[in-house]
Amino acid sequence: MIGFEGRRLNVLIVEDNINFRRLLRTILTSIHVHDVMESEDGESALDLLRTYPADLVLLDWKMEPMDGLAFMHRLRQGPDSPNPTVPVIMVSGYTDAALIAQARDVGVNEFLAKPISAKSLMTRVIAVIDSPRPFVKSGRYYGPDRRRKQVPLKESERRNRS
Amino acid sequence: MSADGKPQFIQPPNHVKDKVSVTSNGIDFDTLEKAEQLIAGMQDSYLEWVDEDLRKLQALEAQLDGAGPRLQVFKDIYSISHDVKGQGGSFDYPLMTVIGNHLCRYIERLGDVEPSDKNVGVVKVHISALRLVIAQRMSGDGGKMGDNLIRGLEAAINKTTAAK
Repeated sequence: MIGFEGRRLNVLIVEDNINFRRLLRTILTSIHVHDVMESEDGESALDLLRTYPADLVLLDWKMEPMDGLAFMHRLRQGPDSPNPTVPVIMVSGYTDAALIAQARDVGVNEFLAKPISAKSLMTRVIAVIDSPRPFVKSGRYYGPDRRRKQVPLKESERRNRS
Repeated sequence: MSADGKPQFIQPPNHVKDKVSVTSNGIDFDTLEKAEQLIAGMQDSYLEWVDEDLRKLQALEAQLDGAGPRLQVFKDIYSISHDVKGQGGSFDYPLMTVIGNHLCRYIERLGDVEPSDKNVGVVKVHISALRLVIAQRMSGDGGKMGDNLIRGLEAAINKTTAAK
């Protein structure tokens, strides 16, 4: 029995470290994802997305000249964005809670801390596929609903929407 | 946001779900094992990559002995150590991740202050420890030797912190 069959999936890896790109590609290959493209920074990734129909983006944080956060802003909110709703998994060694919150606030779907394992990456990929969240446009935010649990709010907890 | 100020909810097309089949149990053990075997097969390549990172660290370390400013050198060391930290654990060298993490946190705490001789000493000890782990092929937790190594590094950091 095959638990995961990703042969038709197109994945874009945006990562400046060539060795880490190799690792990600190897894990993807093991789950039969062979259509993989690579970019070394956000700017070249945006260019690539104009012609490459990515179903999923694996994104590093610290890159030059355009880092992962700037990429996310242009991807989700840019008027010329080639694919504003594509799911993004940020894969980073920067794991402070404040930084993870920043990633969430620019519309990242999932966060994965380095070092990664095959299991941790696959778990995030499956989370994106199996539990897609609706997108929300609210104030300056555009991205997946940041509330993971859909529980009704009490009257006193309701956000001020004025 | 909609005209009445309420958040707008949009359901994007889920192309991914149409293209992928996932069983109810998600990834099965065979697939996972195959993936881990492929990663294990990359260990020789990892040792080459990390060796290159260690050579870069050694070259930067040598710059710290000169009379020039050290702050930028520390930033460059941070950048390489961060990569080392992010990769070690994936290739069964978790000690590289632990030591790389110690080194990054230590440099972060120094902020933008020109590093002192004591700071240089601590950074050098960490770089030596990274080299030792690879030279001795201390995969896994490194056993007692790994344990002693980490304790020694923590003691070195505590010593400079206490001496402030």
